[in-house]
Parts: sequence; C-alpha cells; structure tokens
Amino acid sequence: MSARDHSLYQEEVGAYLLGALTELEVQALERHMVHCPNCRDEVERLRPAAEALPRSVEQMPPPPALKTALMEVVDKEAEERGAETAHPARPARRRLGSFFPSLRPVLVAGALALGVAGGFGVARLSESDEARTISAQVDEKRIPEASGRLQVQGDGKNGAILRVQGMPSLDSNQVYQAWVARDKTFVPQPTFEVGDTGGGAVAIPDDLSGADQILVTREPRGGARAPGEVPILSVGL
Amino acid sequence: MPVVVSDIRNLADEEVMQLVGAGNPRAFELLYDRHGGASFSLAYRMVGNRVTAEDITQEAFLSIWRSRLRYDRARGSVRTWVLGIVHNRAIDALRRGKVHDRRRETLDGVEERHEAKERTDVEAARNEEARQVRTALETLPDEQRRTIELAYFAGFSHSQIAELLDEPIGTVKGRMRLGLDKLRRQLSEGHTAGGFA
Repeated sequence: MSARDHSLYQEEVGAYLLGALTELEVQALERHMVHCPNCRDEVERLRPAAEALPRSVEQMPPPPALKTALMEVVDKEAEERGAETAHPARPARRRLGSFFPSLRPVLVAGALALGVAGGFGVARLSESDEARTISAQVDEKRIPEASGRLQVQGDGKNGAILRVQGMPSLDSNQVYQAWVARDKTFVPQPTFEVGDTGGGAVAIPDDLSGADQILVTREPRGGARAPGEVPILSVGL
Repeated sequence: MPVVVSDIRNLADEEVMQLVGAGNPRAFELLYDRHGGASFSLAYRMVGNRVTAEDITQEAFLSIWRSRLRYDRARGSVRTWVLGIVHNRAIDALRRGKVHDRRRETLDGVEERHEAKERTDVEAARNEEARQVRTALETLPDEQRRTIELAYFAGFSHSQIAELLDEPIGTVKGRMRLGLDKLRRQLSEGHTAGGFA
C-alpha cells in the first residue's frame, strides 16, 4: 500500500460514515482497514459525530396505529412460532456444571503465541490502563488451527478484548459468541465474526471481577441467551 | 403464564435485545416503545412524508423482529443500532425513488414539520439533546454542514453531491471528513457527546 493509496482511503472515511460511498467503495475501504490501523482509528474517532446526526432530529410521536399494526403482526408471528413467552425475566444463565459436564476433557491446554488479529469496530478500552494478556485454550478437534489471547485491562473492571486467529469460517446463519463464566453461570457477551484468514476480535464489556473464564461458542446469528454447545475456546482468568 | 410488560421494563436495552432475539413479543413491544418515536422522527426527517416514514419505521422494526438482526453492543447502544437500521431503510426508500421532490426540498433546506402535540418527558429530553446537536451542527461552515446533511439525511452519494453542488468529488469527501471532525469536537467541547452513547 502506498502512502498515496492510504491518503485516498483516509479521505473517504467521512463519506463512509455518512453512507455516501458506493457498495464497491465500501468494500474496498473495509478491505483496506483490515490492514490499516490508522484508518480504523480515524473511523472510530469520527463515528460519534456521525452517530449524533440522527439525534439532531426533533422528536415527534408516531401514530398509535403504527404500533397497533406492528404488534398485530408480531404477536401473530410469535404465536405461530410458539415463541417462548412464559419467562420474561432476565436472560437465562445456565449452570456450568450441569450444562457442560464434559467441558474440561474437551478443552486442550496449550499456550499459544499469536499475532494481533485484525478487527475494527470493537469497543476501545483505555490505553492508559495496564493490560495483561492471557492465552486461550482451544478445542483442537473442532478448531485445530485456532488460537486466541485475551487482553485484560487493569483489574478487569473495564472488560477485555479477545483476539483470535485461525478460526474457521461459519455458515451465514452462524456467528461466534463470547461468554463470561462466573460462579457457574454464563453471561452472554457480544457476537463476532472472523475475516477470510480466520482472524477477529471481540470486546468483552462486562466487569470481569470474580469471573472464572471467557468462553466462545458458535451460535445462531443474533446470538443466544445461553450457550448452545460446549465451548470451542476458553480463557481462564 | 403470559408475559407482563412491567416485568421487563427495568431491563437494560441490551437485555431486552436478548429477549427479542429469543422471540419474545413483549420485549419487542418494549423495544418499540423506547425507540419507535426516535425512529419515526428520523424517518420523517429524511423523507418528509408521514406515510412513507411509517412504512420505513414498520419495515425496520419488522426486520429486527423477523431476522433477529444481530445487535453487537461493542458497536454502540441499542438506540444507535436501531437508528442505523432505520437510516439504511430510509436511504433505500430515497434511492428507490419512493420519495418525490426530495432534491428540491433538501437543497432548499427541509424545514422540520411538527404538529401540535403533547410531548412526553422522554420526547422533551430528546428534543433538548436534538437542540444541542443542531447547535453544534450550526457551528460548521455552511458548505460542510450542507454536504453532511445531503449525504446523511437525503441519501445522496458523494458523486451525486458533487454534481448537485458543482464541486469536485475530492472536495465533497474532504468536507464530509472535516465537517464530522469539527462536529465531533463541538460535541465534545459542549459535553454533550456523553449523552449519545
């Protein structure tokens, strides 16, 4: 990449955030950003301004009929799906012991040194905090080429960033999802995807005080309330 | 036992989204109650037509419900995410030509249309937030503000804006970036950015 190429791409960052690039231009810029931390940083730096724009609009209430029409459709479809509606309390947290009785034998220990995987759009944590890095354990049967490491900020109260490499591509209806295991419960964290080379990153925004592990599973797109499989990657805290 | 909406009203947006993802219609209703107004307002601001704005809002929320669209909290708040979906839908509508005369309206500066209404506290707070952002926008040089508004609210591409304003594409792109940078600084200096998470 020449300095001129970088300069041209960087000039497009504003148009990118405003949705004013063509689809091809968006793809080209996003490919460039995978390898260009400067442009990624520029996007994140300007993103708050772009995201403030819809908030400049004076509020006006939608017509009540809009909600009525919407909920008629949604209630009907929920009934048809037989959607679970009986337990509206906080998202389910399954107990570790009963849900993953075979977890420990499946996970293969192995300290893995790896380079920093790409990935932009993750939450930025304070760079002034002292960070520590912990290597991940992976299930070598299911993701033999994968590795990962968790960067914990300070005492963990500000979360962490998990970076992975060598992860297999998933079907279009699947995503990877992170979990915080604490006191035998699983707390859902953001979902994430990996690039063509299997590299990716996900921010763990939760306070990790007292947490036991960070886990990763494969879940339906949209994420899950509880892990749907034995984790394929874990990081002991 | 049927879900009682009051049971989930104390949940944070992120937790509500998990229930929506699991197909809970009451959680979806709560999501709409919290963000439907802002969504409709944005759609109306962009297309200037109540019927089309209703269509866009309905399409956006149904897409969230039906496809269980992925919400990733690493990318921002639920509100930002929902408004992003509405924005994309409105852009699609504009580019499909569903909204007529938008060019003249946007170039002349679309006056926001309001009707006499009883405003809720939430609306009042959001209108105060809106006033702050507009104040920050007004500090931008006219050409930067206009370029940003043509792109974001009217859905024009950089090349279309260059043609409309008879300016080189590079100039238009530069104005977008410089304008966003200045807006970011204005919001930051005005201590208003924290409310936009």
